[in-house]
Amino acid sequence: MSTEATHTPKKRDRIGVILYLLYVALLIASVILIVRLTGIQLFFQPDPKIEAALTPSNTVSIIEPARGNILDAEGRLLAISCPIYQFYMDCTVLKETNNAQQEQAWLDKARELSAGLAAEFPEKSADQFYKLIKDSRAAGKKYVRIGRPVDRNAYNRIIELPLFRDGRYRSGMIVEQEQIRQYPYGKLARRTIGFVRNNKSTVTNTHIGLEGKFDYILHGQEGREWMRVTDYGRVRNTDSAFVKAVDGKDLRITLNIDYQDIADKALREQIVEEPDLEGATLVLMEVKTGAIRAMVNLVREDGTGPFEEIQNLAIGRKGEPGSVFKTVTLMSVLNDGFIKSLDETLPATTGHVAGTSINDDHIPSYAWQHKTNRISILDGFKISSNYVFATLAVQNYGIDKSKGRGKGLEKTERFLQNIYNYKLGEAFAFDLDGLQTPTIPSPSTRYWTDTDLGSIGFGYSTEETPLHILTFYNAIANKGRMMKPYLVEDIEEKGIVTERRGPGVLNAAVCSKAVADTITRALKAVTEEGTAKRLKGAKCAVAGKTGTSFGTYANGQYQDAQGRRKYQGTFVGFFPADAPQYSIICTVYSKPTGKQFQGGGIPARAIRTVVDQLYNIDPAFREQLKRNPAQAQ
Amino acid sequence: MKTWKIADIGQFFKNSFTAVLKGEFLLRLNIGRYFIHIAYTFLLFGLIIWISLMIETTMSKVEKNKAVLKELEIVHSQKVFEVVNISRRSSVEKLLEEMGSKVTEAEKPATTVKR
Repeated sequence: MSTEATHTPKKRDRIGVILYLLYVALLIASVILIVRLTGIQLFFQPDPKIEAALTPSNTVSIIEPARGNILDAEGRLLAISCPIYQFYMDCTVLKETNNAQQEQAWLDKARELSAGLAAEFPEKSADQFYKLIKDSRAAGKKYVRIGRPVDRNAYNRIIELPLFRDGRYRSGMIVEQEQIRQYPYGKLARRTIGFVRNNKSTVTNTHIGLEGKFDYILHGQEGREWMRVTDYGRVRNTDSAFVKAVDGKDLRITLNIDYQDIADKALREQIVEEPDLEGATLVLMEVKTGAIRAMVNLVREDGTGPFEEIQNLAIGRKGEPGSVFKTVTLMSVLNDGFIKSLDETLPATTGHVAGTSINDDHIPSYAWQHKTNRISILDGFKISSNYVFATLAVQNYGIDKSKGRGKGLEKTERFLQNIYNYKLGEAFAFDLDGLQTPTIPSPSTRYWTDTDLGSIGFGYSTEETPLHILTFYNAIANKGRMMKPYLVEDIEEKGIVTERRGPGVLNAAVCSKAVADTITRALKAVTEEGTAKRLKGAKCAVAGKTGTSFGTYANGQYQDAQGRRKYQGTFVGFFPADAPQYSIICTVYSKPTGKQFQGGGIPARAIRTVVDQLYNIDPAFREQLKRNPAQAQ
Repeated sequence: MKTWKIADIGQFFKNSFTAVLKGEFLLRLNIGRYFIHIAYTFLLFGLIIWISLMIETTMSKVEKNKAVLKELEIVHSQKVFEVVNISRRSSVEKLLEEMGSKVTEAEKPATTVKR
């Protein structure tokens, strides 16, 4: 067998060669790819701008918590968070790319827009809006404020106006949304409800009223999420941490907005026509619990403007209370057993209080009118005699001067201690910041004079806030049990109570039931025959006391060179006198004036209106018909 | 027994390179034994990519729905505000008066029937 015969020439496998070449090409490509990848990964430094543009953004986003609501005692919304919208305009939009015809069309639409804006914001005309847009476009302004912040309804109307409806890229419309606090009842109890500049603000000096004090509950806690940009838009990055926002809790407060409305209206009616008044306050409190059902604080804006809720006078303004403090002296002498009955009498001749410089001009005229030389304590209370109460204080609590200088103060200190026991000397814990500490003088200081004790007896030389005085009278109405005034009933989360606050006791017994009844008798006499006769014939009997004091001037006098006085007129009491449901105080503050603003005037009239209206609507005064069991069957 | 030499490394790379050029590298490694595992791994990779895309789509829907819910909440709070706004006692009284209604404030307390 020849080798040539068996040797067959090698046949070229074309498909194999093609596949091999393809394989080699792919191999080379893969090698290049690997080398390139390695180079990019290890050594390549891209242009930062390109890198930023091509890297998907992964940004942290703060989730704002919803601020809790404030509800009144009946569950009605007093404060709610709503968005407001502020419109701006980028007036340069399409300016560079528009041809003359397109530019004219844009300006025509801007003119139509201006007409619509003028309808929404009447403070500017359509021409003014058009000029604003046109001038800003010429000046190349990109952030022009349009009108003022608007609510959702106006927002919906404005985005449908010509030009704006073309969208932000064609119109330049920019809208900024912000959550703000809305108060559906307007100015009612605004100072009590208060405000916080915004839910994000950490500035605490703008935290006023309940909104401010309970911001830590209402605010909630911010959440946090990481967002990334995808082909489908901006979505949460599920690979990153997510902290859920915790919404603020709701605050249920004791105010009854109907009662607040009645009280506000009653007080405004009385004071709005009095230019000499600078402020007034009215507080309504529930006797059994100390829950404040209405708290009106009206102060003239800038001293001469309309009355607004801009300062909490009830807790933040202390002054000499005047004759309403006589009840404190009366309770003290009754508690300490110095008098047994209101019918006990004192001499009524000159009206001079022994050992002091106090003279009461009303006593000689009283003695002459009643043809007597004695005055009973009850009569002294009815006519609000300074002599009677200064005498009671000085006779029973006077300094024993026989023991020497700086000694023999025990009785006086006992009287002052009684005042402290009645919680009239301290700023007790309250649901609002700013409760003033009363001023009570001390006989151990060098400022104490012989007249001070007598003055305290009828309500001078001390300073009290209206809330302190009301708390004291509420205790009398509550038969000696002094309740702590409060505004926050409970804290709620989605309608479920998470923290109950409610009533508290300041002093379980400031006096015995018998003493409370005795004082109530005296207070009833004031409204029936005394200085508060305006309340006689109210729909339910009111027991209370008037008080008028004069503010001091820089020279220490109670009147200026023209004889003008600064009045603080108060009426405080409770109703119904026999089975008290509510205690109430109204105080008015005057500017220096020649007119008189007594406690028996405006305060008594305002309270009369409140009492009459409350009596008609309050469930406590409803008449109950009992079913006849026989008929029921 | 064959002992290991440094030159074997060079031989190994040379053989490997030759095998790669001939297209026999994977066959020599007998990688066919693991073909099913490799195929399964690639399937898993595909599945992960597909699920990621699905998640992204869902998340974008979530974001859109969140925006809708936010809008509804805004409308709701606005409506609540408006309703409460007109329920003020003195506003109602004024409205009734303007409408000529005979309904006024109660002039005496209500009478209730005790059960």
